[in-house]
Amino acid sequence: MKLVYRSVSLLALCFVMAPGPCTGSPSSEAAVSTLPSDEANSMAIAMESSEPSGGETPSESLPPAPPADREDEPVQTFMTEVPPQSSQPEEPAAAAADPLEPVNRAFFHFNDKLYFWVLKPVATGYKAVIPEDGRIGVHNFFSNVTTPIRLVNCLLQAKFKAAGNETARFALNTTLGIAGFFDPAKKTFKIDKQEADFGQTLGIWGIGTAFYIDWPILGPSNVRDTVGYVGDLFFDPRTYVAYYFLIAEIVNTGTWALDKVNETSLTLGEYENLKKAALDPYIALREAYSQYRQNKIRK
Amino acid sequence: MNLTYFRRGLVLLLLVFGIALPGWAGEPTDEIKQTTDKILSILTNPSLKGSSKTAEREKLIRQAIDERFDWEEMARRSLARYWDQRTDEEKKEFVRLYSDLLERTYMDKVEGYSGEKVTYEGESVDNGYAVVRVKIVTKKNTDIRVHYRLKRIENKWLVYDVSIEGVSLVNNYRTQFNSIILKSSYENLVKRLRERVEPE
Repeated sequence: MKLVYRSVSLLALCFVMAPGPCTGSPSSEAAVSTLPSDEANSMAIAMESSEPSGGETPSESLPPAPPADREDEPVQTFMTEVPPQSSQPEEPAAAAADPLEPVNRAFFHFNDKLYFWVLKPVATGYKAVIPEDGRIGVHNFFSNVTTPIRLVNCLLQAKFKAAGNETARFALNTTLGIAGFFDPAKKTFKIDKQEADFGQTLGIWGIGTAFYIDWPILGPSNVRDTVGYVGDLFFDPRTYVAYYFLIAEIVNTGTWALDKVNETSLTLGEYENLKKAALDPYIALREAYSQYRQNKIRK
Repeated sequence: MNLTYFRRGLVLLLLVFGIALPGWAGEPTDEIKQTTDKILSILTNPSLKGSSKTAEREKLIRQAIDERFDWEEMARRSLARYWDQRTDEEKKEFVRLYSDLLERTYMDKVEGYSGEKVTYEGESVDNGYAVVRVKIVTKKNTDIRVHYRLKRIENKWLVYDVSIEGVSLVNNYRTQFNSIILKSSYENLVKRLRERVEPE
């Protein structure tokens, strides 16, 4: 869910500006610009645009995506009043189906408290102790470790080039990147991470989301993506850590918790931004999540 | 003879205007960059640094944003079917509250920018509407795709929606507003907006 918090609060930043001075290139070229670094804070900009589900921190583990059929839903109630957007390929679909709204709202409230009372204090303390480079390293490590999830799902989606990229990234980052703490694959070789998860795969196969669910602890999802989350657990190496250690569940939970706290420490402030920006944060989150997932499938 | 010259002149004229026309409105990407540059220069201006200058900085940033964003269009799209039912007074008030909300909420994000790399990935223009695609690379080396949607209004390109990784600002608020109005009323929505925007 970090993804969605980030995307919504990033909405903020990008809404206000697309940072980066024009370095003189015409619009037809991609102009790269870097601004002087100010003191880094928990910028919403740090968005995990692609973290596979399956075992990763709750927030990101459940990717619901309004499926293709959602776009066929009668959306006249919304759309008739909105002027035609001629060059707008991404026409908004109707609001996410949410028959369990009262229950979801209760879980949302629970997650809200969990964040402010538990996760945020722990992550803030963790952040104070571990420097950012270290935390990014941990992030990279977990990202590298979950390569099988992305690899398998790329194959299932018949994205063979992407699967190749993931394999290359894994090889490079595990060796040159020292067990995955660094990401030379992206920095030096410019191979981007290919996001893929089973919920996305199911969506591409045409399976609908059914309806929205906001799981306690795990965060926003939908029926399809919950199935996807469970499916991805089979390919998540972290699930199998337990087999090789006798203190199975403790290690598993510990790994999961570390990942969760680490991710949160890198994205502190995003959830707060979402709440601050929204009149109804529950709906803001639900819609952001749904649209985000829909976008993942469309691509 | 006269006609030939005339025709030649006409062709020349058409040629000139044909090339110049897109330039009148300015490439959408260029206009986005202009605003960005402006905001950036405000943020990096040494004479405006520090908390004592916050109000002045924010005022300047707000001005820069106001030039680029079409608040009324955004408000109209966010209210959707409820827009037409509003009186002119209500519409004005709503646009004011809505733009205040967005500006307030996001002002600190602007100030929190810390050197993320941004590339302009391209644009598409179609009949007075445009999409400018931007990619932001975060500290964690993840890519974020942002789309600005613009509409040409009298030779300027103004933004009426921003979507990040497929999440559209206008859509997000539209769903929220719709839910609030359905559950209570438009008046309640305005009340909630006021509370958020004018707590002081």
